[in-house]
Amino acid sequence: MYRRLRLCSNRGGYEAVAEPRHPIDLVGARARLEAERIPVVDARVMLIARLDAEVTISRAGRLLFKTQDPRVAERTFERLRSILGLPAMEEASGPGPVSG
Amino acid sequence: MARGVMLVSGGIDSPVALHYLLRQGHEMVAVHMDNRPFTDDSPLAKVVDHLALLRERYRQPIPLYLLPHGPTQVTLMRSTDRHFGCVLCRRFMWRSAERIAAREGATFLATGEALGQVASQTLSNMRSATASVQLPIVRPLIGFDKQEIERVAKSIGTYTISTRPGVCCQAVPDKPATRSNLVQILKEEERVDVETMIDDCVRKAVIL
Repeated sequence: MYRRLRLCSNRGGYEAVAEPRHPIDLVGARARLEAERIPVVDARVMLIARLDAEVTISRAGRLLFKTQDPRVAERTFERLRSILGLPAMEEASGPGPVSG
Repeated sequence: MARGVMLVSGGIDSPVALHYLLRQGHEMVAVHMDNRPFTDDSPLAKVVDHLALLRERYRQPIPLYLLPHGPTQVTLMRSTDRHFGCVLCRRFMWRSAERIAAREGATFLATGEALGQVASQTLSNMRSATASVQLPIVRPLIGFDKQEIERVAKSIGTYTISTRPGVCCQAVPDKPATRSNLVQILKEEERVDVETMIDDCVRKAVIL
């Protein structure tokens, strides 16, 4: 399961971390993204894909959404989740993504 | 006074270092290594705003060279040992800056490095990184601690620009080496075509 989106340390984007860890096969992920005609930069240890927000996908399963709009980050996560078969995000108990 | 090339990142340190050199009367040229897509647009926006402020203050044009560093990062990440990522990255930056210095008639390179703040700033890694260039390298902030640098940044007005939200560079390895030797680094560089990569980067430079 992915924890709720959190603003990253420099406050420039939102990150999603899976607990327990959910390693991502980047080779397979790249193929699935490209099949959806999503531009991908493959740096071997991470992918950078351009969806609604640009997102960095690490092998460890960490996702970083380069947007300061939490709705865009959430929307991008959901699309990524459907393409890559990622675990769901935990249910929100509060009003939205976590800041700080 | 001399003409120098300063590596500027958008962070807190580089505009402070640039301020000291400008205050001394040197003519400065700025070089920003554009790390997109491993960062967002914020570092470049910060650099532009830093330079606008310093240009006004010191009445110098301070040309800004924007060099595409993202493709270099991709090649390094795909082909070399990640632990040395920071040192390898710095070596490319220095050599690219030296090419710009040749173009601009500059006689020194400069940076906002202080000792020991991050992995690339240990003495060992600085030595490995700078062995790649011939020009002298000036580090106005080498003896400053973080608090002092921040104090100056606040006094010259660059701190609020530097601390605007942004995405950290995603190319930084999880466990960067804090020590390296040149033999190790050169061995890693043999895995890539260094000169072609630098040529390509400098050829695609944009002047702002």
